[in-house]
Amino acid sequence: MSDVIKREEVGEVVVLHITTPSVDAVSAVAIELACSEMRPITVIDFADVSFINSAGISALLKFVVSARRAGYQLFAMNVSPHHQKIFKMVEMSRFMPLIEAHDLPAFRR
Amino acid sequence: MQRVALSIPSQVRFERVVRASAGEIAQACGFSPERIADVQLAVSEAVTNAIEHGNGARADLLVEVVFVLDNNTLEIRIADQGNGTGTVDWHRRVVEAHNLDNEQLRGFGMHLIQALVDDCEIESSANGTVLTLRLHREEDLS
Repeated sequence: MSDVIKREEVGEVVVLHITTPSVDAVSAVAIELACSEMRPITVIDFADVSFINSAGISALLKFVVSARRAGYQLFAMNVSPHHQKIFKMVEMSRFMPLIEAHDLPAFRR
Repeated sequence: MQRVALSIPSQVRFERVVRASAGEIAQACGFSPERIADVQLAVSEAVTNAIEHGNGARADLLVEVVFVLDNNTLEIRIADQGNGTGTVDWHRRVVEAHNLDNEQLRGFGMHLIQALVDDCEIESSANGTVLTLRLHREEDLS
């Protein structure tokens, strides 16, 4: 398991909590390693993330690629307003829709 | 006019040093929190490009960053010591299905820079590339 991802699994849902504040070229490789931890419903939790750049977006897109190939659903949770703006600029949210933390129990049923 | 200059080896971990400095400087200049985040991201993209593409990640080559606050404009110059860039693709680039299928997952940096700053320009020669970013304080845009 990556040292920048904390994994939480309930049934077919896995939540991957990114624990590094900076999703960038330095942390990208460690984040990408967690692609192997995906499940049919995967939620990436950005609660602890304060910075994402395009190198980080590229790392996150590895999850999108893996999810598309496996037919999994991929969601993002606790994305800050600034990062929602950045995701919108590159149209990331079309491939990794946002959910609210309070929606999570519904996915776990 | 106030001026801050930094010089870093071409290793991506030092991009974080410039980014942190950019945040502090933008805050000291009176930018809003959202605008500070924009400055940090634009600077991060520019410095990462300078490290990886300009200097080819050669640690013996430096990236020099100069912040200049003049009146209500923050100007940031990012210079590498590479051999110059060819054409720069400023086109809007977004995540698209066919790029995902081909695993073409990079190339958003210049689009983000252009979208986040008020003005940017690039000068390139055989002695290196200088990218200049300018951002204005919000209260003076009315």
